[in-house]
Parts: sequence; structure tokens; C-alpha cells
Amino acid sequence: MAFTIKRKRAKKRDIGKDAAPFNKGVKADSDAILSPSLDDTVSGIKQALGDNDDLIMKYFKVFGQYEAAIMYFSNLVNQDSINHDILKPLMYVPDHLKDRNRSLDQITDMIIKETIYHSQAKLEWNMEKLIEYILCGETLLIIDGIKEAIRIGTRNVEKRAISQPETEQIILGPREGFIENIQTNLALLRYRLPTPDFQVRTMKIGRLTKSTVAYCYLKGIASETVIQEVEKRLSEIDIDAIMDVGYLEQFIEDNPFSPFPQIQSTERPDKTVANLAEGRVAIFVDGSPFALLVPVVFNQFYQTAEDYSSRFLMGSFVRLARMLALVFSLVFPALYVSFISFNPELLPTEFAIAVAGGRAGVPYPAVVEVLIIEVAMEVLREATVRLPKQVGGALSIVGVLVVGQAAVEAGLASPITVVAIALTTIGSFATPAYSAAFALRMLRFPIMILAGIFGLYGVVIGIIFIFNHMLSLKSFGVPYMAPVSPENYQGLKDVIFRAPLWSMPKRPAFLNPANRSRLSKDINRSEFGNE
Amino acid sequence: MLHNKRSLRLLLVFILILPLLSGCWDAMEMERRANVLAIGIDEAGEKDRNKDGEVAHLKNSFLKPQGNLIKVTAQIAIPGRIPLGPEQGGGQKPVLIMSVVGHSLEDALQNLQQQVANELFLGHLRIIVLNEKVARHGTKRLNDLLRRNPEIRRTAALVVSKEAASEYMKLEPSLDRVPSLYLADMVDNLSALGRFPPSFIGLFWTIYSSKGQEAYLPYLSIKQKNIIELKGLAYFKGDKMIGKTSPLEIGVFMAIKGVGKGGYGAFVQVPGSDKTVMVRIRSRKTKRKIELKNGLPHVRLKIRYECEIDEKESPKIKINHSKVLKSIEKETAKNMKNSIEKLISTTQAAGSDVFGFGEYFRAKLPRYWNGKIKTKENWERAYQQLTYEVKVDTLIHRVGMKAK
Amino acid sequence: MDTRHITTTQAAAILISTIIGVGVLPLPLFAVQAGGTGAPLVTFLGMVLGAIGLFILTFLGIRHPQKTIITYSEDIIGKWFGRFCSLFVILFFFILTGLAAREFGEVVVAGVLQETPLEVTVIVMLLLACISCRNNINVFSYIHSFYLPMILAPVLIVVALSLKNANLLYLRPIIGTNLPHMFLGTLTISALFQGSFIVTMIIPSMKNPKKAIKASLWGISISGGLYLLLVIATVSVFGTEEMKQIFWPTLELARTTAVPGNVLQRLDVIFLAVWVTAVFTTLFSSYYFTIHSIKQLLNLPDQRMLSCFIFPFIFISAMLPQNLLQMYEFIKFVGRVGLLITIVYPGLLLTIDFFKNRGLKGSASQQT
Repeated sequence: MAFTIKRKRAKKRDIGKDAAPFNKGVKADSDAILSPSLDDTVSGIKQALGDNDDLIMKYFKVFGQYEAAIMYFSNLVNQDSINHDILKPLMYVPDHLKDRNRSLDQITDMIIKETIYHSQAKLEWNMEKLIEYILCGETLLIIDGIKEAIRIGTRNVEKRAISQPETEQIILGPREGFIENIQTNLALLRYRLPTPDFQVRTMKIGRLTKSTVAYCYLKGIASETVIQEVEKRLSEIDIDAIMDVGYLEQFIEDNPFSPFPQIQSTERPDKTVANLAEGRVAIFVDGSPFALLVPVVFNQFYQTAEDYSSRFLMGSFVRLARMLALVFSLVFPALYVSFISFNPELLPTEFAIAVAGGRAGVPYPAVVEVLIIEVAMEVLREATVRLPKQVGGALSIVGVLVVGQAAVEAGLASPITVVAIALTTIGSFATPAYSAAFALRMLRFPIMILAGIFGLYGVVIGIIFIFNHMLSLKSFGVPYMAPVSPENYQGLKDVIFRAPLWSMPKRPAFLNPANRSRLSKDINRSEFGNE
Repeated sequence: MLHNKRSLRLLLVFILILPLLSGCWDAMEMERRANVLAIGIDEAGEKDRNKDGEVAHLKNSFLKPQGNLIKVTAQIAIPGRIPLGPEQGGGQKPVLIMSVVGHSLEDALQNLQQQVANELFLGHLRIIVLNEKVARHGTKRLNDLLRRNPEIRRTAALVVSKEAASEYMKLEPSLDRVPSLYLADMVDNLSALGRFPPSFIGLFWTIYSSKGQEAYLPYLSIKQKNIIELKGLAYFKGDKMIGKTSPLEIGVFMAIKGVGKGGYGAFVQVPGSDKTVMVRIRSRKTKRKIELKNGLPHVRLKIRYECEIDEKESPKIKINHSKVLKSIEKETAKNMKNSIEKLISTTQAAGSDVFGFGEYFRAKLPRYWNGKIKTKENWERAYQQLTYEVKVDTLIHRVGMKAK
Repeated sequence: MDTRHITTTQAAAILISTIIGVGVLPLPLFAVQAGGTGAPLVTFLGMVLGAIGLFILTFLGIRHPQKTIITYSEDIIGKWFGRFCSLFVILFFFILTGLAAREFGEVVVAGVLQETPLEVTVIVMLLLACISCRNNINVFSYIHSFYLPMILAPVLIVVALSLKNANLLYLRPIIGTNLPHMFLGTLTISALFQGSFIVTMIIPSMKNPKKAIKASLWGISISGGLYLLLVIATVSVFGTEEMKQIFWPTLELARTTAVPGNVLQRLDVIFLAVWVTAVFTTLFSSYYFTIHSIKQLLNLPDQRMLSCFIFPFIFISAMLPQNLLQMYEFIKFVGRVGLLITIVYPGLLLTIDFFKNRGLKGSASQQT
């Protein structure tokens, strides 16, 4: 599967290279109208597309009467379907047409409406567009003596099967994940949202890749201003190639210099639908198995789809643990440094003396020691991420067990430092959103250095600095720290704890949804028990 | 243009931050600090006099504070000798014990620093032992440094010792690897076990500062080699220790002071026999009423004990009827009343209102206080003329699991 | 776009976190020096006096819902005289910012970072405020309401934990002894409530300026209540005599308190660390007020550059006092003089405004 994807991408790039000079040529007469002569048209297209071996062209006679040709790229279409549904009915005159007058001026109409077994067949007269269509996998039918060509939607690209999302695994809940094909992705959403309010708007971005970009929302729920803002920001993008939604994200986010992600990406259709239902907008790009969700607030990054599908006590507890891990991954090493080198009086005496004993052989100050181990940990982590699974296991054993043990024994690090760093690293794995976890991982270093200079005071200064930055961030006009500040009582039910679903009758107010109520008003959960 | 501006700004910030990196002014790694765990303070004997260093003053020329020389013995933890986790090897002594002499506590500590490679760190100072002699000469000159230094814990323990304080530093109790920690834990646990009213250095200062109250501290002595015992309660007048009680009287003191948690027990003779039972106090409730009688302060104490019988001396006594309990209750109450009155009169003779009656007069009769007393000294005098009534109720609720 | 975004809750939060600041540490000492056992009473009176000033400002703000004191003073007492008075207001908050930063630095240097140069701690704190001041007033209000729990929590926790050592006897007699002393103390304490002046800056950005009264009421009662609680706790733990010997009784309270279970041996360092947040919000407010007012006075379009521009001047003013003792003398003096600016001046404005309006109304009714 992976192989086909790679091939597809590689090919797209090739086309891009070849297409560059062609683009210029066509641009010159972009409104070029097809000539009625078959030979002229065919040679025009061939000239534009260059000498490609996978461009298939077949001359034949329509109904045995008119000279015609079909053209397509062999690896973008389903050739079986072309043979059976297009060529066959065209070459043998169908029974119901046998007695009719098949004059040249009626022939196109007859072919589209009565002959071809294909739902997507249209007339097109613009040369430039025709070339675009054929590049996208459609089949062109050109008939001698007619100024228009018929394009038939035969596109059929190899795609991966729907599988479990790799980056957002959950225990309870749906197992489907998006794939690279945008049509499939939208289908996954449609299947969950059989409502006319579900709107999909598409546009093409990328001068070379001409990637289909779709943004979808629920009409009457998502705020109009956000939709317009998304439309505006997307339409301002002008780039040659888009490989992934990550490209888009960098163009449409509010503050590109912030370490914090201001757009959430997800692989899960259920999560996307839940967010659409809250009033967000989802953005897809053909070729990327991720959807972007906007606008976001920070607390989304430590929530998972599972929080909502499991019972609320469970969801709340897990979320609490995750928040703890989040805080851990940010400040734990810094706290450790400031406790060790600034305020050992905070630790219980017995423990403090023991820690001092453990550190006795270490030649570096605590900051340097922690920094060394942290950097080593980052390298190790990056190394394991890129490795094939079979090798990765071996590496992590060597990295963690052997190097860690040896470092302690060689007096490079104290055992407690290793424990502290290990806890931090594990903590950073517990944040579900990779991008947010990464932000905290990065910010850990400046805080550590501040701790090395000012101790606890430095840690607090660093945290205030980070919080101030987060408070000043906005994502598509929504304050990043909502609903904590600006505060919103209804929203607070879903920040640290997750209140029961029946107790949250409103959609988040900070998204300014057009329609706020989510539950019917009559629901009163407590009545069930009394019956 | 915008980009240039931004990078310029970044550069500027970077240059500003650069000097900070040379900072780490206060960073001092844990293992490079000499953790002083305990301090013992004695008066310097003849032998020690000439040990006086010339660190904070020159011997003859420089101004030298008045007062006797003190000898400070400190227990310093040696990093690396106290291993992590339970029992790994051991055998070596985990602490360093050093003795120095100085005119004041700070002077002595400076002398000590002169002899130790690492910076002295008082953040883990858990206990300060004062020799009885030092306590009797006054603690005033020690308090100042202890209050001024931000490293020192206000919850550290302060005790008075019968023997030389340096002896306590050299003890090697077998229960804990670090001797001073054993000592500190023992003192800290006293109040949890109901053996002593709450006492720590901050409380000592608070009481010492307030006008209608005198301070008290635990009084320890060394029983045999390496065993320490709570030998009584040292009470103060001003900053000077002026007397001490017997261990059982600590219980009496706690009753008057109104400390709820009981712990002490006493033998009480069962009326009608010559045998005794052990009555242990579980809790107390103390009510104090104050008034002026003929212009003199007068206190009415009403104390209610909840007790249990722990043990009886011989099988002859039968605890099988509520009447027997009643009579024991009465006997106990009588004994208690006697000992309470005796303790009050002892402290009155010393002029030390260690029970804090004065605070009640200050708080509740401000006119009397502001008119006649106002200062601590006046109250000490007035306390000697204080009259009192004591009423004791004893209730025995439990007799344990034995029926007879 | 609509700029009125600040809700009533946010306005109250801004008031609380602005008022509670560096003053938390020496407040009990000030109160006890003035009133002895009457310290809680002195604090309460100080709070009442502070509340009067705050309500005068709130009323003024409601009468001029689009303007701050800098702009409406021009309407009330004339353009040039108004500007002249505004100059003093700005100068006062300028000095207040410097002093708050300095006081903070002194505590940190005395309590935790003894070797670190005072200048560095002060610069770092000012820098934090300076950078945060580059945001607009909405972010200003977000920041304040976000940190509110972090400001209230440490004080409440320390107070709750210290109750074990409390002795209610120390609080009596409730009425102190020395009345003139108490009056002076009331002034000093009410100077700690001067942060409430910020209300004049936030009313023009409030969603509903009419509700400013409610916000002020909440603001002053929560911050005042917290101060009162603190004074009661410190006095009942230490007694008045011991407190007179301690610079920062609140810090000492944290030092005396042990966390149950001995998780942390000392609370004071943690308390100081969290208290940095409270100082930051106060500093942030007065810094913001200073530059916002300068901006309005000079009709400048942007405050971003201004915030960097006055940074060195504030730093210099912070470094003026020679030592801790001189600083506190200075703070007390500035605080009392400041009452002229924060209570008397708005009071005058309100009276003039009131009569002016009545005169206008009177003449209007005569004409019809």
C-alpha cells in the first residue's frame, strides 16, 4: 500500500516538472478553443503533454461512422471500465439507436445521454481545461468534426484501505481513520452526518499539484465569521506544491512564531464530526490523511475522543492524569534543578542527605547534568521514531538500560536525575496531541535554564512568561485559553474534568456558534432513577 | 524590512540575556553544601577558651562583644556516607562532628566555616541543644541570628540539656543512622505522643515575645550511653531558664495550659486498700475564668479529665462495679488538684508565668492591663500575687478488655 | 470592531489581582504597628477607606463610560488643568511601579536568592511586565482573570494550615489602644488598596459599564477579605509583640506552617514562588496604567514602543531607595501622599462634575 502512495507522489512531481514549460505555452492562449479537426486536436494535446509513454490514445470509429479518439493516462484510470462502459457501446451501435438518425450534430448528445454507461460525462471546449482533466485521470473522447470533446470521469487511483489511526489510538471507540484519498475522507464524514447542513466547499491550491482542498462545516452551527475567515486565509495561499495539510497549517495559523499549535490536526473521522458539531471547521487536502480543525483552544490538545465516549468519571480521571503528565513534562526537570541547587531545604532531611549522597561523584552542576541527559534523551527519542519497528526495540533497550546504567555508574549523572528525566519523558508521551506535546518539550529547555539561574523564582517567571504568551494567542479570532480565560462557566465543565454529557447542554460559547443548544431542553437525567 | 527589524530585536534580547548566563549566583549544589543537622551550644570551659579563632574580630584590638564565650558543636552530614535506599554497606560514621568557640553564635559559625571546605548550610538544621548553663544565662544573644537567617526553619526543635550539649552531638543511637535525626524525631514526636506540649523554636520566640507569658522547653538528659530521656520541662523567666519540673509534672503543666491530648499516667491508690491502679489520661478539657479580686488577679481553673485504667497492681483489687470506679475517680481528682496547686505555687515563687495566665488578663481585661501592668516585668511581679482556685473532675470511661 | 469585551467577572478579577500584590507580605506588620491587637480593625478601616476611593472612581467612570480619568478630567476641570493633574496621576503610578518592583526584589534577595544582585531580580520582573504590556486590553483582562486563583490559593492554603497554631487570645482586645496611631495606620493600609485606581482604565472597555459597581464591590470585598484573613491569621499565630520583630509576617507564617505528611518541609519558599504571580499582576497593572495614561495624554496611537521606552526610567526609580528600611519609609510616605491622588482628587472631580451637571440641568429646565 505504502508503495503505491509513494509512487503516486513521485509521479505527481514528475508531471509537475514536465508541466512547467507546458503551462507557459498554454497560458499564452488559455482560451484556445478546440478545432473541429481530430488530428489538430490530438496533436495539440500531445504537444502539451509531451512525450509520455503512459498516455494512451486510441483511434476508432464511433458507431462505425465517425473518426474519433480517446485519450487517458493508463495508470490513473480503470481500463476495464473504459473498455466495457465506453469503448464497447461506442463501437457497436446499441440496439435502441439502430433505427435512429445518427447525424453529426446530434451525436454528442446521443453519446452522453444514451450510449456511455458512465455517470460523469460532460462536454468541454477549452483546451487548457481538457489538459487539466486528463492529468487528473479523466478520459477524453474527441470526435472528428466536433468542436467539443467529451470528458468522462474515469479517475481511479490506487488507495490504501481504511485502517486504524496510528497517531491517535484509543481503547474504546471507533477504529476508522482517514486515508490519503479526499473522496474517501469526505465519504467517512458524510456517512456520519447524513444532514443537508453538512457543507463541503472545495478549491484547488498549488500551482503544480493542484491539490483539492476541502473545508467543511455544519451550516447553522459554525459561526459565519470563522467560515469566512477560513475561506479568506485559504484563498490567499499561492504555492507550487502542497504535500500535506501541514503545508496549509503553516499558511493559515495566526502566530507562526509561537511554539504552540494553533490548529489541531486529526486522523479520526469521529473526532472531526464531534468538532464539526461543536461549530468548528474542518480542512482536508487530497493526499493527506489528516484533517485540520479550526478554531482551537488549548485544552483540546490534552483531550481525546475517548474522553467523551467513556463514562464521565472515567473520562475525568484520565484527563486529570493527563494534565498532571502535561505539567510534569514541562516543569519537572526545572523543579528538580531548583530543588537540588537552590532550595534543598524543601526536601525532607533524610531524603535530601540521600540525594546529596547520590550526587557526590557527579562533576557537573545539576543544570548541566540535567541538560546533558535531556539532550541525550531527545536524540534517543528521535532515533527510535525513524527506525523500523524491529530495530527500534533493540535500540531503546541499549539506549535506556545500558547507557543509563553506565552513565550512573561512570558518575556522569546521579540516579535521581535519571529517574527525574525518565518521569519527564514518560509524562511527555501522555499528551495525546503530538504537536502540543512537542511545544512543551521545547519549552522545557528555557525553563530549565531559568531554573539554573534563579531557582524556583526562575521557574515561576518562565511559567508566567509562557502563560502570558498563551493568553495572548488567538486561533481564528478565538482566545487560545478559552474557556478558562476569558472565563465561561459552561465551558469550564469540560476543561479539567469532563462533566456528564447530559449536563452540558450548550456548545462552547467561545466558538460563537450560531445555534448554541445541543441537548433538547426536556432532558433531565435525574428523573430516570425515579421512574 | 519587517524581518530585519525582528532579527535585530532578537539580537538585542539575546545580548541582554547573555550576562544572565554568567549568573547562577545562588546555585550551590546540594552535595557542595555542608548540611548542619544539629547544633549544640555550651559555655566554653577553660580548656576551650584559647580555641577562639580570630575570624570576626582580632584578639585584643578589635571590638569584641561582651559575655562569655560559647562553644558550638555542630553535626554536619557528609554527602556520600549516607547511602540512598535501605542499608547499603555502612559502617563508616555518616556525620562529621566539629567544635568551635566564639563570642556569639554567628562568631562561632564563622569560625566553623573557617575549618570546613564547603559552605555551611543551615536549611536542614533540625535541632538545637542548649546546655542548661547557657539557658540559665539567657538565650537572648542566640535568638537574633536564628531569627535573622532566612535558612533556619521556624519549626526546628530547641531543647535544654542537663549534660554538655556536645555530648548529644556525639551520641550514636542505634535506631537511626544519622544521630541528630533520631534526636530531632524524638523531640518532634513528644507532642504527638502527648508527652509534651507543642514546642518548637518559632513557638518559643512567640511566647517569649508576648508579655503575659513565659517560655518553656523540653529538658533532656542522657540516661546511659546513647540513650536520651525527657527529664522534665524547663521553664523560663524572660530569656533565662529558671527552673525545671519532674517528668510527671509535664502532664500537670499540660493540664493547666489546656493541651487536650493526654498521655501521662499515674498510680492512684484505690480507696479502702493499700494497692494502686495505673490511671492514664486520655484527654483533658480546661476552662479558665479570670477576674480581679480586690484589685489582684485571680484565676479559676476547671479541669476535666477523661481517663482509663491501664493496669492494676494486684488481683486483690476488684474493678467490677461502677462504685469502685467512682471512688478511684475521686481519688485521682484529689491527687491532681494537689499537684496542680503545687506546680502553680512553684512557678509563682520563681515569678515565671509559664502557663500564660497573663495573656488572659491582657486580652480580657485590657483596662486593668493597660493601667497597671503594661510590661512583662510588671506582670512577673503581679503573677507572684496571683490567687487561684482549682477544680478537678475525673471521669473513667474505659477499663480495657479485662472484666475484673 | 466592538472593543467592549471585558465582563463584570473579569473586571472584578482585575481589581482583585491588582490590589493583592507585594503588600501581602508587610501588611500585617503595618497593621500591628498601627493598632496592636486592633490590627484587624485597622485593616478593615483601611479597606473601607480604600472602598470609598474606589466607589468615587466607579461613579465617575459610569458618568463618563467612554473615557478614563485622563480624558474626563479634561472635560470636568478644563483641558490644561486636567492635563496638569493627570501628570501627577501618571507620575504617582510610575513611582508605584518602581517601588513595587523594588520591594519585590528586596524580599527575594533577603528571603531566597541572597547572592543574586538586586538589580537582576528587579530587571527580570520589570521585563516580564514590560513585554506583557505590549498586548491589548483584552489580553490584559485575560491575564488577570487567569492568574486570580493562583493569587488567592497560596494565601488561603497558608492561612488554613496555620490555624493549627492559632491562639485566639492574641486577637483580643479587638479595639486597639492608641487611637491617633490607628488613624495613621488606616491611611497606610488603605494605600495598599491604591491598585483599585485601575478601574478607571477598564470601565471604557467594559461590556456593560453600569455593572462596574458590582465589579468594584466584589473586587474590594474579596481582596479586603483576604487581607483581613491574613492579618487575623498572623496575629493569632504570632501575637502582636512577636510580629513587631518580623519584617514579613506573612512569609514567617508560611515558614511556621508545615504541610501535613511532610511532603515539603518548608512552605515559605513555595509561597514566595507563587507570590511572584501576585507581584507580577500588580506590577503589570500599574505599568499598563502608566503607559496607557501617557498614551492618552499625548494622544499616541500605539503603546508598544512606549512600554519599552519607559522601562529604564522605571528601573532607575526602583533603584532610588538606598536600603530596605529607607524603602519602607518611602513606601509609607508615597502611599499616604498617594491618597490625595487616589481619593481626594477623584472626590473633587466627582463633586465638580455633579454640580456642573446639575447646573446644566437646571439651566436647561429653566429654558424650557
